[in-house]
Amino acid sequence: MTVTPTELPLTGEDTARSRDRLHVHRARGQNRRWLLLWLLAGPGILAMLGENDGPSMIAYTADGAQYGLAFFVPLIPVLFAMAYICQEMCMRVGAVTHRGYGALVLQRYGRAWGWFGAADLTLTNLVTLVAEFVSIRVGLAYFHLGSGIAVALGLALVVFTLSGGRYRRWERIALGLAVFNGLFLLAAILARPRGGTVVRSLAFVPPGGNVNTLLLLLASTVGATVTPWMIFFQQSASADKGMTARDVKHGRCDTAAGAALAAVFGGGALIAGAALLTGKGPGIQGFTGAGFPGALTHVAGSAAGTVFALGLIEAGAVAILTICASTAYAAGECAGVSHSFNSSPRNAAAFYAANIAIALLAAVVILIPGAPLLSIALNANVLATVLLPVSLVFMVMLANDTALMGPWVNKRWANAIGITVIAFVGLCGAAYGIDSFLQATHLIG
Amino acid sequence: MNDAHSSLGVPERDPRPAQRFDDEQVVHLERGQLVTETSRPVPRAALSARAAGGLWALRVFAALVSLMVMYTFIDQLR
Repeated sequence: MTVTPTELPLTGEDTARSRDRLHVHRARGQNRRWLLLWLLAGPGILAMLGENDGPSMIAYTADGAQYGLAFFVPLIPVLFAMAYICQEMCMRVGAVTHRGYGALVLQRYGRAWGWFGAADLTLTNLVTLVAEFVSIRVGLAYFHLGSGIAVALGLALVVFTLSGGRYRRWERIALGLAVFNGLFLLAAILARPRGGTVVRSLAFVPPGGNVNTLLLLLASTVGATVTPWMIFFQQSASADKGMTARDVKHGRCDTAAGAALAAVFGGGALIAGAALLTGKGPGIQGFTGAGFPGALTHVAGSAAGTVFALGLIEAGAVAILTICASTAYAAGECAGVSHSFNSSPRNAAAFYAANIAIALLAAVVILIPGAPLLSIALNANVLATVLLPVSLVFMVMLANDTALMGPWVNKRWANAIGITVIAFVGLCGAAYGIDSFLQATHLIG
Repeated sequence: MNDAHSSLGVPERDPRPAQRFDDEQVVHLERGQLVTETSRPVPRAALSARAAGGLWALRVFAALVSLMVMYTFIDQLR
């Protein structure tokens, strides 16, 4: 269906979006496949590489340092395949309905569910954003720069990317930064994993006496691949980008490319972490003081440490952008006000304010001296894992809603995988939550 | 564009004077993508009592486990 200016009132948001769609239409008309893919890429890659954030990369490195490669190398591709299933649904629902996740849940299932979702998101996003600033701080600390610089850098980036009043500008800046997630792969190469070491680490068996730590790492690794903010972000960004049902195929390529890149780069962090593997070495908390970059420098040389530190700065920076955006989308959608990067700050004041406010709030927290850095990073992912099943259930419900999706509803196999993912994520989060609680309250040894 | 707006009596939500807009661009935007369309809420879905009960059970479970995680985190800090 197409429209002309005389048919309906148009806003500046419509104008900006239709300009981007013009390029898509021309590329499609001229059968320029690669250009079309390039124009339609963005939300999927950003959601996946945005989730290869500071806490996630620290979790992968901690996995490698603590348990080697045996347990997690096969797990990472499985987790990202799982992430693809969830994110493809988000993209599809966003492209077909042109609406964000928060708006659809609130309108379709009631205000209570919409606001619960937004509240969960805000809580997990705030904790995760603290961890993102921590990640930048850890990276900068390697270069002897302090928390103030980390805060200034993160906030300046958020304000700078918001200044253009265009979704496309914001997306391309974020994509440009996300490319540097590949630094973790470079760090793995620079760590020069020897064949023998890799083989030995593949044979490494997690120690039986430390089930809680293993559960923490497992839950945080699951939380490192799918989180509530990714669901809100990709659906809303797909709608904001102007994707339509015709673009679903390209949206799938975008999401699959993002999942593949994230798995490879996450694997890089895992291999770099495995260079620190000693079997009886320091626990993951032992790395908190010096940080992983320093530890990697000690084991594999300064180049590996420097690249890893830069990677942590990138991971934190990109995630700050995407997580702030997901918060702002959710706030705007639930409040029923304008929520688009294509709107001007004057017309989408709440959207822009939410974007900056949550970043500011998280930045203030990391300036508190003596904050337990790694513990915050790992627990941020765990909290996201625990709250994820509720978001996923609504996602599956929306993707099965014939009235909204028409012929684009989930296939049976997608539902079967979706339900399996929900059960798996729920079990991982609950296992850690309950086990650690029982230990903390000394109800079990 | 302004003429179109005034003739319909609908105020423009985001008037950016520097914006150029022509028919060629507009025809590539689906009607459902326009802000005026996405601003209209979708109809409420009817949830069965069993579905609503299941959602609330999941909600309560997630909230309880979240509280456990937060308690453990705070306990670890002490």
